[in-house]
Amino acid sequence: MDDMKDIYLLIVLAPLLGSAIAGLFGKYIGRSGAHWVTIIGVATSTILSLIVFKDIVIDGAPVFNETIYTWMVVDGVRFEVGFLVDSLTAMMMVVVTFVSLMVHIYTIGYMHDDPGYQRFFSYISLFTFSMLMLVMANNFMQLFFGWEAVGLVSYLLIGFWYKKPTAIYANLKAFLVNRVGDFGFLLGIAAVLMYFNSLDYADVFAAAPLMQDMTMQVIPGQDWSLMAVIGILLFIGAMGKSAQVPLHVWLPDSMEGPTPISALIHAATMVTAGIFMVARMSPLYELSETALSVILVIGSITALFMGLLGIVQNDIKRVVAYSTLSQLGYMVVALGASAYAAGVFHLMTHAFFKALLFLAAGSVIIAMHHEQDMRNMGGLKKYMPITYWTMLIGSLALIGFPGFAGFFSKDAIIEAVHHSEIAGAGFAYFSVVVGVFITAFYSFRMFFLVFHGKERMDEHTRSHIHESPWVVTVPLIALAIPSIIIGAIYIGPMLFGDFFTGAIFVLPEHDVLGEIGQGYSGWGGFILHGMQGIAVYLALAGAGAAWYLYMKRPDIPTMFKEKLSIVYKVLDNKYGFDDFNEKFFAGGSRRLGGALWGVGDVKIIDGFVVNGTAKGVVWLAGVLRNLQSGFLYHYAFAMIIGLLLLIILFVMTIG
Amino acid sequence: MPFAIPNYNVAIPEMFVLGMACLVLIVDLFLTERSRTVTYLLSQATMVGAAVLTLTTYSQEVVLAFSGTFVRDAMGDVLKAFIYLSAFIVFLYAKPYLQARKLFKGEFYVLGLFGVLGMMVLVSAHSLLTVYLGLELLALSLYAMVALQRDSIFASESAMKYFILGALASGMLLYGMSMLYGATGSLDLGEISREVATTKMELVMVFGLVFIVVGLAFKLGAVPFHMWMPDVYQGAPTAVTLYIASAPKIAAFAMVIRLLNDGLYGLHMHWQDMLVILAILSMAVGNIFAIAQFNLKRMLAYSTIAHMGYLLLGILTGSGDGYAAAMFYTLSYALMSLGGFGMIILLSRAGFEADRLDDFKGLNERSPWYAFMMLILMFSMAGVPPFLGFWAKVSVLRELIHVDMTWLAIVAVVFSIIGAFYYLRIVKLMYFDKAEDNSEIKQDLDLHVALSANSLGILVLGIMPGPLMALCASAIGVM
Amino acid sequence: MGFEQFVFYVFAGLLLFAGAMVITVRNPVHAAMFLVMTFFTSAGLWLMLEAEFLAITLVLVYVGAVMVLFLFVVMMLDINLVPLREGFMRYLPVGILVALAMIIMMGLVVGPEFGAHPVPERHGPDYNNTAELGSILYTVYVYPFELAAVILVVAIIAAISLTLRRRPLVKHQDPDAQIAIRKQDRLRIVKMDSEKK
Repeated sequence: MDDMKDIYLLIVLAPLLGSAIAGLFGKYIGRSGAHWVTIIGVATSTILSLIVFKDIVIDGAPVFNETIYTWMVVDGVRFEVGFLVDSLTAMMMVVVTFVSLMVHIYTIGYMHDDPGYQRFFSYISLFTFSMLMLVMANNFMQLFFGWEAVGLVSYLLIGFWYKKPTAIYANLKAFLVNRVGDFGFLLGIAAVLMYFNSLDYADVFAAAPLMQDMTMQVIPGQDWSLMAVIGILLFIGAMGKSAQVPLHVWLPDSMEGPTPISALIHAATMVTAGIFMVARMSPLYELSETALSVILVIGSITALFMGLLGIVQNDIKRVVAYSTLSQLGYMVVALGASAYAAGVFHLMTHAFFKALLFLAAGSVIIAMHHEQDMRNMGGLKKYMPITYWTMLIGSLALIGFPGFAGFFSKDAIIEAVHHSEIAGAGFAYFSVVVGVFITAFYSFRMFFLVFHGKERMDEHTRSHIHESPWVVTVPLIALAIPSIIIGAIYIGPMLFGDFFTGAIFVLPEHDVLGEIGQGYSGWGGFILHGMQGIAVYLALAGAGAAWYLYMKRPDIPTMFKEKLSIVYKVLDNKYGFDDFNEKFFAGGSRRLGGALWGVGDVKIIDGFVVNGTAKGVVWLAGVLRNLQSGFLYHYAFAMIIGLLLLIILFVMTIG
Repeated sequence: MPFAIPNYNVAIPEMFVLGMACLVLIVDLFLTERSRTVTYLLSQATMVGAAVLTLTTYSQEVVLAFSGTFVRDAMGDVLKAFIYLSAFIVFLYAKPYLQARKLFKGEFYVLGLFGVLGMMVLVSAHSLLTVYLGLELLALSLYAMVALQRDSIFASESAMKYFILGALASGMLLYGMSMLYGATGSLDLGEISREVATTKMELVMVFGLVFIVVGLAFKLGAVPFHMWMPDVYQGAPTAVTLYIASAPKIAAFAMVIRLLNDGLYGLHMHWQDMLVILAILSMAVGNIFAIAQFNLKRMLAYSTIAHMGYLLLGILTGSGDGYAAAMFYTLSYALMSLGGFGMIILLSRAGFEADRLDDFKGLNERSPWYAFMMLILMFSMAGVPPFLGFWAKVSVLRELIHVDMTWLAIVAVVFSIIGAFYYLRIVKLMYFDKAEDNSEIKQDLDLHVALSANSLGILVLGIMPGPLMALCASAIGVM
Repeated sequence: MGFEQFVFYVFAGLLLFAGAMVITVRNPVHAAMFLVMTFFTSAGLWLMLEAEFLAITLVLVYVGAVMVLFLFVVMMLDINLVPLREGFMRYLPVGILVALAMIIMMGLVVGPEFGAHPVPERHGPDYNNTAELGSILYTVYVYPFELAAVILVVAIIAAISLTLRRRPLVKHQDPDAQIAIRKQDRLRIVKMDSEKK
């Protein structure tokens, strides 16, 4: 076991070391030095993660749950750094390190001319470290550390081009919105600490069933189920990080960051932290149907309505961003339906094909000289064959074309919701099914607008279009392969096998996957079963509709836009979330803040309390200073007086 | 009269230091000005050798020797090890300072070594007699060191004050000891401890206790017996201030434990209340007076007074855990104090002392690295997490709460908030003000390395305080 | 009241009187002489307590060496004590008050409890105080004894290092340096342009 501990430490520390070297000594080691040192670090982690994966999942090594370092012990509560490595963690480690490695390589090409090259590599390695800390945590404190650390790196990276005002606005927005979520998350952890008096997963999960019927009163007279409160508070954190309505507003804007970041952080890994967290906390969530219902409804709203927004976007990255939102909604729906395994399964397949889509989009953007508007593209197929085919694979996986990775995970979710009996399941089923059509529609709308049809770019750009260098295409191919096959390989063990036994906990009465699994007969059978459902045909219909509307009859969308201008406006304004936040929260809090600042801060706190005391103390000190006269006999006299007073106080009181 | 040959083995470190001090004294006579470094190297070798001798024979056992006048135990050994370390750092920091001021003479090192010997005697004292002799040996060395800069009126004046007040305090201590001797009929601390538990002469003992506490308070610099500290700290050459402010405080801690715990634990009820008064006064006076200072050395003197107040808080609990916390506080303080005065030395040069607050203005522009080091030191002294000083304060306050003196802990916290003001003011000066003096910082490489290691050590120990805390706990004997 | 008690009171009275005179007389030489007297009288008291060795040492060391040295210093430096005494009368009332308070408290504390001590046994004429001290000093108290020696060493070092000055301004011949001198050390040839005006 000891050597495993060293391996885990190495997995976590290798990227940190790379990041530190690239960040602190970037000037000295130069550009290639920076990317070599970070890539070697992350590659080490990737290889070791694969070994761990083999060890835990394939060879069935026992779950590792040990404390590495005790930071402090306060009133019996231990604050520790420790690792819990089971199948769920091992899978997340592989996904995180693999996608991260691909992104590292890809970045060499994408950021080629950027002056902040070393800084960028330092950040993304730091991100890998933080994410690994998050997924490998065996206690809430470390989880929170990882949670905040990825948030911080995300903030730094969205604002990577810090001279661009929109980027600064976007990173501030991401930071603030995430604070709202984190506030809930922190309250949730506080509640856990308060009632369980421990931050260790194992302790908390073991004690949780005993607390099922416990209630707490936040508002006097109102009994709330403790588990529901904890579950919902933690989920609020997940809503921020995994961009669920209404805390989703930061994610589309985060596309202001460089594309590798969009792929790594805002599609494949960080945004799935919320999904991972809920799956990890399954022993808690299973105890509260209320919390599960909330999750289910929030997820389905996100899945449906965010998908709709994808239709009206013209920026290629924003389309992918909204599809991410929608897919995150799917995962959350799966969690709400207690099909945690399906949610995590979708998380994994999604990580591969969404990273692929982003990187492919990035490849297009490089070719177009950082032009992101799809209206200025078209007909790129013949210039960029590799990008074209990999993008096609990614899109097919995304819409759930039978046989591709996304098909298995998405269909499993739809099936699971169908079988679920929890409150809100009907609405959720409707949302995810309609969502399939919408997903297919906007995905192929983007695909056709970019690669087919007329070449709408200007002459100068056209003359320079060429396929991207190998550092870009190799990751694309490397990601395309799992996007095709990973679903078929892992559907059996992950959804219906015992892959997650011990890692994810489901009550028998919630076990929808078990129900589906009774009819499961291999991945081929699953495809056949899927072909009988409606979802596949909706997907094909969506793709077909996109082809018809944007290739055959491009006048129809324009007409829609004019006729249904209200709908279009609503969608274009993203349902007005941004305006509302801007006016109500931002404006309101600015006014409130202004008022409080004017009266409370400036007058009372600064004027009276802070400056008042400070001035008072300074004045007192100045006066007392005269006591230290500098005369020897004064000093000696003070000592004698002190002695005398002590004698009077202590000796005389005895006598 | 039957007489056993004393067990010399336990005192080998003491004998080694004494021998080396004499050797340095003689060797120094034959050295020219240019080869004076030999004296320095020999002194450092003495510290290293003493550390090796002490640590290789370290054990948890308590051994009495020399007819019970000497005790060797784990607490003593750990404290001695830190005394060597402090002295080593002092000698290292002091070298460039002394060289630049024509003070680089053998006397500094010889007296420094004799001072270390005095501290060792004090730490290992198990009789009123050895406590007193150790104290005098240390004090005499310090008086002479303060006066070493003969052509400076300030140094001479402060040496004079230190000497006279120190003699007065020694007199009081001695008077208290004579009372104890009269009441118990013994000088041996173990014997006294047994007598105290059974005697009926409580009044005389408490009377003696008051005098002893006064003597201790003077040594620590607790209010109202602190008056010498600001004048001496400011007046003495910075190298000597550095010495006074570090290792002797460790020895003073040992002295308090030896006298009050080993000897007079039976009077805990009484000395606890005395220490409460001294601690509150020290925290108040130290923290408030420090605000009005413009001289950094003087400010640090008041800061030391305040720190001694916190140190007393740990001791007055009278519990093993409390002593361990106080010991942790002492060692943390010594490290921070070394760093603080080390920074002054770093910035000073011939003819320029760099001991005004204004000299730190805009340090960030001149040297971001040392501004950061100073920031670590100031934050740590202010007790900001995650630096070492924070844990020192926390552990002392926790022990206070454990003995149900929460009110005192609250008082301590309030004063430490007041204290944060003057520490943070330095940070403000360094980072937000324009530099008055833009000359380059030119010092030897060893000073740079040692000072950086010193500050970073405070940061690292702040992040991982566990081992040092455990060491203190095991040294005191509570696990 | 036996003879012994009579002697005791004479010595004690003289001691107190001399002590008071030390700090009140104006002439420093007189003050030093009164200090000698206090030493003598206390030596007498110690003799009565069978501390013969200490009594003799007190006379030898303090009267014979320390005080003579003291007188030398006082006479050679010829300090004008008037300004030093300026504050004396001003602080006298407070000083007396504090001193009185201390004395009263000491009396209150120490008086009743020490009276209860048994009178120590008298030793016979063959009792050798010096031998007794010596044997205990070099056996049981060897460690403190050695420490005291170290303190004296430090005192010597301190005294020498604080007072020994090499005076650079004193004129004396250094033949060594005179012989070793070279031309270029003394002689500097300066090239100058001829004056222009």
